[in-house]
Amino acid sequence: MNKKICIMTFHTTYHALNFEKALKREGIEVKLIPVPRDLSSSCGSAARFSLDDREKALTLSKEYNIELDELYEREEETEKPSLLDRLKRKK
Amino acid sequence: MSSRLQIILSGLMVGKLGTILVLFGNPVNMGVCVACFYRDIAGGVGLHQAGVVQYIRPEIIGFILGAFIIAKMKGEFRVRGGSSPIIRFLLGFFLMIGALVFLGCPLRMILRLANGDLNAVTGLFGYVAGIFVGIQFIKQGFSLGRSVKQKPVGGYIMPMFAVVLLALLLARPTFIYFSTEGPGAAAAPIWMALAAGLLIGGVLQRTRLCTAGGFRDAILIKDYHFMWGLIAIFVANLAGNLIFNFEAFNLGFEGQPIAHTDHLWNFMGMSLVGITAVLLGGCPLRQTILASEGDTDAIITVVGLVAGAAFAHNFGLASSPAGSTLNGQVAVVIGLFITVGIAALSTERSVSMERGVKSNV
Repeated sequence: MNKKICIMTFHTTYHALNFEKALKREGIEVKLIPVPRDLSSSCGSAARFSLDDREKALTLSKEYNIELDELYEREEETEKPSLLDRLKRKK
Repeated sequence: MSSRLQIILSGLMVGKLGTILVLFGNPVNMGVCVACFYRDIAGGVGLHQAGVVQYIRPEIIGFILGAFIIAKMKGEFRVRGGSSPIIRFLLGFFLMIGALVFLGCPLRMILRLANGDLNAVTGLFGYVAGIFVGIQFIKQGFSLGRSVKQKPVGGYIMPMFAVVLLALLLARPTFIYFSTEGPGAAAAPIWMALAAGLLIGGVLQRTRLCTAGGFRDAILIKDYHFMWGLIAIFVANLAGNLIFNFEAFNLGFEGQPIAHTDHLWNFMGMSLVGITAVLLGGCPLRQTILASEGDTDAIITVVGLVAGAAFAHNFGLASSPAGSTLNGQVAVVIGLFITVGIAALSTERSVSMERGVKSNV
């Protein structure tokens, strides 16, 4: 079973933290992770949340003045996928 | 291969190479030390005259070229910069002062720990304390600002620098200093050190392993990805030391190689390293990798590290096995004040207040 998720990157960790806070306040499930290596070679923090919450997350970011960098969408197996699987799927 | 496995394997490799390089000649507990090696290079090119720590370390050349080549191959060589370069220079400068008061970068701290040096535990506490303080500023909105795309030529400065260093190392012109005694004279064969450096540079470019990131993520976002890599460095190095060099393993505080037992200053020195590394967004090793893949801000940080090393030895700031120096202690305190000052003045909240905009969160 694949789950569609979003990965949001930020210019600063501060905004990543505020993003997490804002979403959690609205009861949206969100987890901060290191930026996945295949997205960027930077070493900041990114937020991972369900694709279903995409619009809500974007609206909230505007309301809370959270500066976003990029939004990535991807499928993820409910089991933790390996990097190789992820790369294969991207192609 | 899962990314967790990759980070563990890259940690194991770094730890293992740390053991091997010591077996083949590097100073004890200094198989790989980024701060010490920049310090040696600073001495080698005559920026300081501490005769026992002058050598152009091929490992650093390897880190740079390895990371550069892999980044190029993978299309990750992107030239960018402009994120508070002068502040990064200062933070890099003071990071090095802290490291040389403790006697090692965070990586060497792990390697010292893996050979039984309990002074590194004191250092570890200081490092984590420094990172914890730095995180408080990140939570308040600390940022050095965004970097922007820059002209490609700037990104080639670091690999060119590495090639020039390699040429100087091989040609050994008379104006380059090579220690004849002390840690600077203890070195693995050039080809081996270079190969180890290339391997580490390439692999760490892929995995982004960072000693500051490991602790920062664990504390700040409860993510243990990089922490696994750090544990792997420790485990591989410990196992290597116990198996191949058991006589040299020495559990305790006293008589540790290239270390001192000034607990307060081991703690304070590494606190300064922790706070500067977390504000910079990466430890010296990670800065070196970033500098090699086109991050010109990281290049400035490395220049800061080298300048810090030169100052540390020119003005008697660096510790020795005899202990820390008064000058070094004063420098660490000044460094902490300046670093905390910079951090406090660079938080988003203070910026917002100036603009009269109230943050919503």
